[in-house]
Amino acid sequence: MIGYRDGDSVLHRAHPYTPLAIATALLLAVFALTSPASVGVAVALAVVLALAGRALGYVARPALIIGVTTWVLLLILHGLLDPGPRIALGPLSFSAEGLARAAVLGGRITAILFAFLTVLAVVSPARLVEAMTDRGVPFGRMYLVVSTLTLVPRLRERASRILEAQQCRGLALGGSPVARVAALGPLVLPLVLGALAEVDEQVLALDSRGADSGLVRTALDPPADSAGGRILRWACALLVLAAYAAKFAGHAL
Amino acid sequence: MSLRNLVLVRLGVAVNLVIGQIVAALVLPVYLDAVGTILVAALAGPRAAVAAGLVSQVLAAVLSGNFSWLPFALVQIVIALYASLAARLGLFRRMATALPAGLLLGALAGGTAAPIAYFVFGGATAGGVTAVTTVLRALGAPLKVAVFTSSLSTDLLDKTIAFALVCLILRSLPTHLAARFPALAR
Repeated sequence: MIGYRDGDSVLHRAHPYTPLAIATALLLAVFALTSPASVGVAVALAVVLALAGRALGYVARPALIIGVTTWVLLLILHGLLDPGPRIALGPLSFSAEGLARAAVLGGRITAILFAFLTVLAVVSPARLVEAMTDRGVPFGRMYLVVSTLTLVPRLRERASRILEAQQCRGLALGGSPVARVAALGPLVLPLVLGALAEVDEQVLALDSRGADSGLVRTALDPPADSAGGRILRWACALLVLAAYAAKFAGHAL
Repeated sequence: MSLRNLVLVRLGVAVNLVIGQIVAALVLPVYLDAVGTILVAALAGPRAAVAAGLVSQVLAAVLSGNFSWLPFALVQIVIALYASLAARLGLFRRMATALPAGLLLGALAGGTAAPIAYFVFGGATAGGVTAVTTVLRALGAPLKVAVFTSSLSTDLLDKTIAFALVCLILRSLPTHLAARFPALAR
């Protein structure tokens, strides 16, 4: 299960921008790191972030499920198939250089997964919207992210109904690849044309709510921000800059 | 962005995220996760299409939990800009022009995705693309060549079908609906 979970951790109480800034900094910084040890530190930091959000158990499962596929593929592509000096691990022989490369690439992805899954677990969407409103983020941007999340399940349900209806009318989902590509039309057309027909209705609904009035909205209950939170966010930005400055100055991290 | 375009972008993002369900039911070796972006490009132009592509990538990450795919947002931008140009040139009006235009987009998208797959993921993305990469690598192809070939082969088919679908959608639009999208008339 992925998504927000109620809690009272330091990350739950923090301004929503703070965990987002930490995760974004990790996402950017890991690509400046090139050694297995430094990437290992980034993974450890991401795990600490999950611990700080009291979400490690909740986050670890999806992170490992998603990450393990990548790790296995990396070990095959780089560890097994790369040339060069070999290391024997049980019955398998791995390339030493390939293993190091797989560790760096896999570690980066693991760090990103832990960091952002933690953000999903600790940042309440409602608080995030309040924070964005408070900071004057235009309505359109918030609408796109928040409202689309509500549209997706509705469209999924409609796609299922269309699939069933077309099968009832004799549409075969199997057969040759050409027949299956041809079946896309009767399935996708009603879905998209039906949704396009509703565009006007939604424009009217938004217009009646003054969505394009251009006025700055007032947040009802904006999340409190702290000096510590602001300093942490600036520190994240500076750390990313420092990591890339070191990388481009030729100091391998 | 006008309210109409905003609603269209939302619809395009939802189509990008939902169409996988239909593709999975048909067991097709493609993603078609840019059909919404291409449709928005044809109906509302490049700015809305870029927004649709970027929001799709972010929401796909939020819904799947796989945030490591965020760098592929660059591919969505390329698709949005190219599809807008194709729409402006009228390439969606006939299937005979939409198919080659889709094929060319496949080459462009594959060419953009391959360096991301190589440098960020070391070639290990997911699914069928990586299976092709692994087979090519096992046959002795250098990793760069294997990643580029697998990325290109998947995208050529994927984007050609996506362009054909959007051409079909635009041609099937009832006149009263088509009249509401001025970009379509250009």
